Amino acid sequence: MNKFAIGCGGLLVILIFLAFVIGLFFWGTYNRLVGLQQGVDTQWAQVQTVYQRRADLIPNLVNTVAGAANFEKSTLTEVTNARASVGRVQLDPNKAPTDAKQLQEFQAAQGQLSNALSRLLVVAENYPQLRATENFQGLQAQLEGTENRIAVERNKFNTVVQDYNVAVKRFPTNMIAGMFGFSPRPFFAAQQGAEKAPTVNFNFGSPSPAPAASPAATAAATP
Amino acid sequence: MKVDRPLRGRCRIRAASPPFLTSSAERSIHLALIVITLSAISLSAAEVIPPKPPGYFQDNAGIVSEATALRFNEQLAQFERDTSNQVWVVIYPKMQSDDDVAAYTRRVAETWGVGQKDKRNGVVLFVFTQDRKIFIQVGYGLEGALPDVTAFDIYENRIKPRFRSNDYEGGLAEGIDSIFKAIRGEYKGTGKTARESQSNVAKKIGLFLLNHPVLIILIVLFFIPRLRPRKGYHYSSGGGGWAWSYGGGGGDWSSGGGGGGGFSGSFGGGGSFGGGGAGGSW
Repeated sequence: MNKFAIGCGGLLVILIFLAFVIGLFFWGTYNRLVGLQQGVDTQWAQVQTVYQRRADLIPNLVNTVAGAANFEKSTLTEVTNARASVGRVQLDPNKAPTDAKQLQEFQAAQGQLSNALSRLLVVAENYPQLRATENFQGLQAQLEGTENRIAVERNKFNTVVQDYNVAVKRFPTNMIAGMFGFSPRPFFAAQQGAEKAPTVNFNFGSPSPAPAASPAATAAATP
Repeated sequence: MKVDRPLRGRCRIRAASPPFLTSSAERSIHLALIVITLSAISLSAAEVIPPKPPGYFQDNAGIVSEATALRFNEQLAQFERDTSNQVWVVIYPKMQSDDDVAAYTRRVAETWGVGQKDKRNGVVLFVFTQDRKIFIQVGYGLEGALPDVTAFDIYENRIKPRFRSNDYEGGLAEGIDSIFKAIRGEYKGTGKTARESQSNVAKKIGLFLLNHPVLIILIVLFFIPRLRPRKGYHYSSGGGGWAWSYGGGGGDWSSGGGGGGGFSGSFGGGGSFGGGGAGGSW
């Protein structure tokens, strides 16, 4: 009888200890997941900011270019339309998308705008008078800078999402993630321009550089 | 997308693959390994981040006289004392990357950590003489004071015309001045560079100890028992001064009239770059 009581007490102590350890584990893991998720959302806001910055440049650019004598109208309308469709795929700037399809749509719209813009700049090459104006030069510099920023922020976004996703999917964190509804987040896919941008020639005789293989380079190529 | 790129190469490897690999599964694993290794090799061959320069101004292409290099260096150091902004000017013969100059120089500046950490106020003017390329990288904290348009203007109207007529020193002087003008008001200086204030901390600790001899005695008492040489141990003083770690694997640059030297502590400090700035070819 006495032995039984001691055994019960011992079991109880062990159980309490186990509960304590598990509680600690829950606490730490949950907080870490929250931190990681917050990092993803913060970086998403950063991504949105740079895309918005580009969108804000466009009316000014269109006005400047439209002022040039008989500038090809079709490229201009293309930019304006792409700008409009970007405006339609508005995502919450404070919370990174949880749905892969949403992000894909966003990326497709932005990619379309990128293409329209680069076409516009190529066409502008044929208008030396336009290119000589200070206004256009300034806009072009800003646009290039913005594209660089987009590449940088997207890259950073993918990095933080990867960290978060690894945490969400890896055992044993995944159990807690499942319990509290932390789901993996989609990230930017390399697409379109990625395959055409860097010229790679593979010759095995000498160590040949392959910029396409570096993630930073591919991200830079897909605004 | 990484894997389907070296298609030609893969075929050649298959042709050359050793005969003892018979099963197709084994072979494909083998191939995958080779492709991965090759892409890793070419990745490392693709880009070299040059070692951090020892001073604010470093000319690896020999386009500036030694005296001018020293003068620029002092000018840039004084600017950090006055304003806390770090402006570096680095000149290389060639870009060691196949990437776009903007993306490459951003990575270099970020790796070096130009600027003070809390303010992220670094600017690096890159010049690649053989590529005839210039890029002004602007740290996050100075994007407001030195927006892309201003950076472009400095490059286009201040530096480029002079470089075109081979007046490198004039172009650099003008470029540095214009950058100074743009970012002077943004932050307040402490009268010291980041490096100088670091050594200042050491000095302060030294002074404090001098004023508190009791502390010194305590420290000595604490450490003496531990310092007694034990059998078989050799006490060599590690390090040997502050040698700059040249980690990048340099390449074939001849070092020209670089400035600086004689500093201690880390240079740079953890500024970060988000893609601001402008540049082009001259």
